[in-house]
Amino acid sequence: MITQVTINGKTIPVLAQKVKGQIWIHFNGRTFQYEDESKKKFGSQSSQTGHAGDILAPMPGKVTKILKQAGDSVSKGEAVIVMEAMKMEYTLKSDGDGVIQKIGCKLGEQVSLGKVLAHIDPKKEGQA
Amino acid sequence: MKPQKITRIAIANRGEVAVRIIKACEEMGIETVLLHSEVDMGTRAYRMATKTICIGPAPTSESYLNIQANIDGALAGGAQAVHPGFGFLSENADFAQACMDAGLIFIGPSPKATRTLGDKVNCKALAQKLGLPLVPGYQGANQELKHLIHEAERIGFPCIVKAAAGGGGRGMKVLRTKEEAGELIESAQREAQSAFGSAQVFLEKYLDRAKHIEFQIFGDASGKVHNLFDRECSVQRRHQKIIEEAISPSLTPETRKKMGEAACLIAESAGYQGAGTVEFLYQDGEFYLLEVNTRLQVEHPVTEMVVGVDLVKAQILTAQGEPVFNSKNPMIPRGHSIECRLYAENPYLGGVPSTGVLGKVEWPEGPGRRYEYGFEEGDEITSFYDPMIAKVIVWDETRPRAIQKMIRVLKDSVVFGVHTNIPYLIEILSHPEFVSGEMTTRFIEKHFSEPLQVQVLTEQEKQIAEEVAKQLAPTAAENRIISETSPFQTFWRGI
Repeated sequence: MITQVTINGKTIPVLAQKVKGQIWIHFNGRTFQYEDESKKKFGSQSSQTGHAGDILAPMPGKVTKILKQAGDSVSKGEAVIVMEAMKMEYTLKSDGDGVIQKIGCKLGEQVSLGKVLAHIDPKKEGQA
Repeated sequence: MKPQKITRIAIANRGEVAVRIIKACEEMGIETVLLHSEVDMGTRAYRMATKTICIGPAPTSESYLNIQANIDGALAGGAQAVHPGFGFLSENADFAQACMDAGLIFIGPSPKATRTLGDKVNCKALAQKLGLPLVPGYQGANQELKHLIHEAERIGFPCIVKAAAGGGGRGMKVLRTKEEAGELIESAQREAQSAFGSAQVFLEKYLDRAKHIEFQIFGDASGKVHNLFDRECSVQRRHQKIIEEAISPSLTPETRKKMGEAACLIAESAGYQGAGTVEFLYQDGEFYLLEVNTRLQVEHPVTEMVVGVDLVKAQILTAQGEPVFNSKNPMIPRGHSIECRLYAENPYLGGVPSTGVLGKVEWPEGPGRRYEYGFEEGDEITSFYDPMIAKVIVWDETRPRAIQKMIRVLKDSVVFGVHTNIPYLIEILSHPEFVSGEMTTRFIEKHFSEPLQVQVLTEQEKQIAEEVAKQLAPTAAENRIISETSPFQTFWRGI
């Protein structure tokens, strides 16, 4: 826990703490996280297995409905998966037109944040 | 009912409301038994309660919604009464009945009053009989999808589908076209089943520029229902309230009087006892009765602040058979109070829930500030339950001053470890439409449908962050100190 920092000889009151490896800072009415630029390159963001068009779990939760099967075609904005988290339902829709390659979850499964729930092959330009 | 002093109350709830009830009990010299799930040991209520009893695993259907487990827990804990808080079993007449059958006092209205008013379908029938204005809709027993879609068409789009047994935005969807109606109705039925244990839904015409205004009523042991004035809760996202205030900035004294009388009339005709809320939609000077919530509300503190009452204490006194309010001394609301619900969610990702272990949490005190929170540093926010982690309440002489104060308080508050909607709340409080007091239930949809812009750090913030990162990086020397102050070593040295 840090309650002040000194920058250019000036002492500034801040509140900062590392929680589960993540640095949290509160200063002048704002709370923000600090991400080390040098580590960012190797961060989990880039190692995500999802591709453009895939549907990832936006939060941990339960899969309550699977509306499409592998081989089905989907259009932009069409509902593919329904999840429940914190007692609310979230409908996950396709970002674009394409074909479902694989459904990556089971009905009733508790999934973690970022899990690929549906692989979608985006429709290429000029395809029928 | 003969006055009977209660000495121990079981709490069938969790989080900040459990803490709120424990505080009222402590003040009245009453012991508490917290009925909690397996994952709720790291919570403030768990640490504060006189006794704690685990009633089941994390899923709500196996713990907080399990009637028998709650009854067994209350009896095992030696409680005489059960306080259900809000949500979970608070509006479940079967639970109230089960408490009575087990010889426990249910702190809330009678099962009969709950069945009349708490069930939205029965409530509307009573309102109709009393000649109170209602929103056009369908409340029939036929729950077949085809029939519901047909009824939706009859009412006309847009219309709204709601859980008959619920509240809090779950099992509630706006249907805009016939095409999407089927999927949304089914989704509402599933949410209703999961949140309230009943898939029954009803349909209603959707008023597109209405305000949500509700009246706090209280039936005390004298048999009279008292009007504790209104709250406005128009700032809602997906039908979940975010900001509430008392009293509403929109009502004329005449309308306020009429609505208050309507609220008391329906409650009195159902023989209502305890705290309750009559919800209305208000549009173009007309009001429509929406539903009655037969329990304490999340937003009860704003009423407490302007009217000067303690609603939880009043509930307990009523359960003991003691009158609370004096009709000769009418209540007059004073000043303005605002409540913000703090949700563990990421405002930069459109409000997806943010889970994790809480780091430092700070709620700085000051005049007219009040905090209701259920979690402290080291507690884990899980995805099993509602994402609301705290409520921040302010009071000031006028609405503009209360808004100013709330912004300051939110800026002073610190929550590390999970993201919160604090930046989002500050944006809402600063929006001209909110400041004007003219916002409707579509306010969020209209102005805040997109996630907030990701924070850009100022130069100074970046400098601070880098300095902090340097200091918080464990050095070789630090690692050595940590091993030297290991509890195993210092413990033996101390002897």
